[in-house]
Amino acid sequence: MKRKQRTEILIQDGGSLAEELASTITANYNYLEIIKPQYGMTMIKMRETAKKSLFYLGEVLITESKVEIEQTIGIGIVIGMEKELAKHLAIIDAAYRADLPETKDWDTQLIEKGKQITAQRAKEQAELFRSKVNFETMEV
Amino acid sequence: MGYVAVKGGTQAIEASIDRLKYDRLKGNEIVEINTILATMRNLVDQVMSEASLYAPFLAALAIKQAGGSMEEAVFLMRAHRSTLPRSYYSETVEVEEMFVERRVSASFKDIPGGQLLGATNDYTHRLLDFSLVEETLEENKQWLSDYQKELEKIEASEVHYFPKVVDYLRAEGLFDTYPLDNTSPKDVTKESIQFPTGRSERLQVLTRGQTGAVTALGYASLRGYGQVHPTIGEVRVGDVPIHVKHPYEKNQDEEDNFYIGEIKVTEVESFVPVPVKKTNGNEELEFDIGYGISFGQNETKAIAMSILDQCLESPHGEFPTHDEEFVLLHIDSVEATGFISHLKLPHYVTFQSKLDSIRQVKKGGKVDAD
Repeated sequence: MKRKQRTEILIQDGGSLAEELASTITANYNYLEIIKPQYGMTMIKMRETAKKSLFYLGEVLITESKVEIEQTIGIGIVIGMEKELAKHLAIIDAAYRADLPETKDWDTQLIEKGKQITAQRAKEQAELFRSKVNFETMEV
Repeated sequence: MGYVAVKGGTQAIEASIDRLKYDRLKGNEIVEINTILATMRNLVDQVMSEASLYAPFLAALAIKQAGGSMEEAVFLMRAHRSTLPRSYYSETVEVEEMFVERRVSASFKDIPGGQLLGATNDYTHRLLDFSLVEETLEENKQWLSDYQKELEKIEASEVHYFPKVVDYLRAEGLFDTYPLDNTSPKDVTKESIQFPTGRSERLQVLTRGQTGAVTALGYASLRGYGQVHPTIGEVRVGDVPIHVKHPYEKNQDEEDNFYIGEIKVTEVESFVPVPVKKTNGNEELEFDIGYGISFGQNETKAIAMSILDQCLESPHGEFPTHDEEFVLLHIDSVEATGFISHLKLPHYVTFQSKLDSIRQVKKGGKVDAD
């Protein structure tokens, strides 16, 4: 599974799956924290919809971590103050980049979790649809 | 006369800071950060927007520390921001990917996807609700439980992404279309703005402007101190995903980017009628689009920004709201409140020099009789 889809599932899950997957790696491999989880910022680049040009919206606080496993560096980045999650994401990233055998079984778990998250978000949105306006044209 | 260094206020300053702490503590109540986060969502959003730093927890802490003073909370956030490294720039955020929780149009009742009211004060009675004085957690839990039971019946399998109202009008040929402009934006936090400014600089300054200042100037334009009076094409509030590229990997495709989470924004497009002279000499009415956006849910600011965006796109010497120097240099919270509040700090030397001048004039008998 590619990084974009994987990180989206792991972050939207909130951290429990990331913790579980990272623990299977730390149980079997040594890891070196190159950068302990630390706070930083990401500047957000936006496209405005009036003239389709780019501008900077402002910065968002992130937590970032870097680890090395089997001579491969992994990076974890997440919005907010999430030190544990950033570290777990970095470990998982390193595991995928090093192509560790443990990762072979992860895709199924991630896809299943992704389905649950989509269903949950769809329901959340459908709940908001209760406030959708049903216009009726009045006779005058 | 030059400035002179003075001392002697150290003890008084320390005592003043103790007094500030005393005033915060003397009521024997503690407001938890989580309480602010859970119950003062709009205040947190406003602080983040004016500070130009999206960090709800830090904004809530700043509100607590500042005793509820907006200007102080924004100042604290800006100061904290300066201590943090900027590690990444995001990939371009496209608002079509927004998880929409509110979306309305004042221009059309039937917009593709429909109008979604979401959570808003717009339709509430503006009467004080005295039942909140006696509010209890138990009652709230019961209300939430009942509400969630009602929602249990709702089923859905996929998330809907809403098209932009303006794209629908562009497809009909009613509005001008623009190709994607990928010119690198300028960053006003790295380089001071020079006039005339670029569009990216204007939008960045407007979106981090003080809510009250942006609203006041937008309102002034509507009242006649400007030439923009729009109809709102679309206001949308929701979460947009943020992605960043890997810092070292080469030949990445988009699927190798990091998803790092979502931020809530309010985005507005307002439609502004503009008379345009055609080649045949006739004047025809066309529409320009004003663009506004703000961190969090802050619809008034985003609408006012869309007005000012359009004002500054069409400079006009007669109106202050169309003067980019007037607008852009006076709406920043830290700059405006900082400059105004510095006036109460010691100006003994400069004031004494002015007094000396007046005394000299009076001694010379050169003062007018009246």
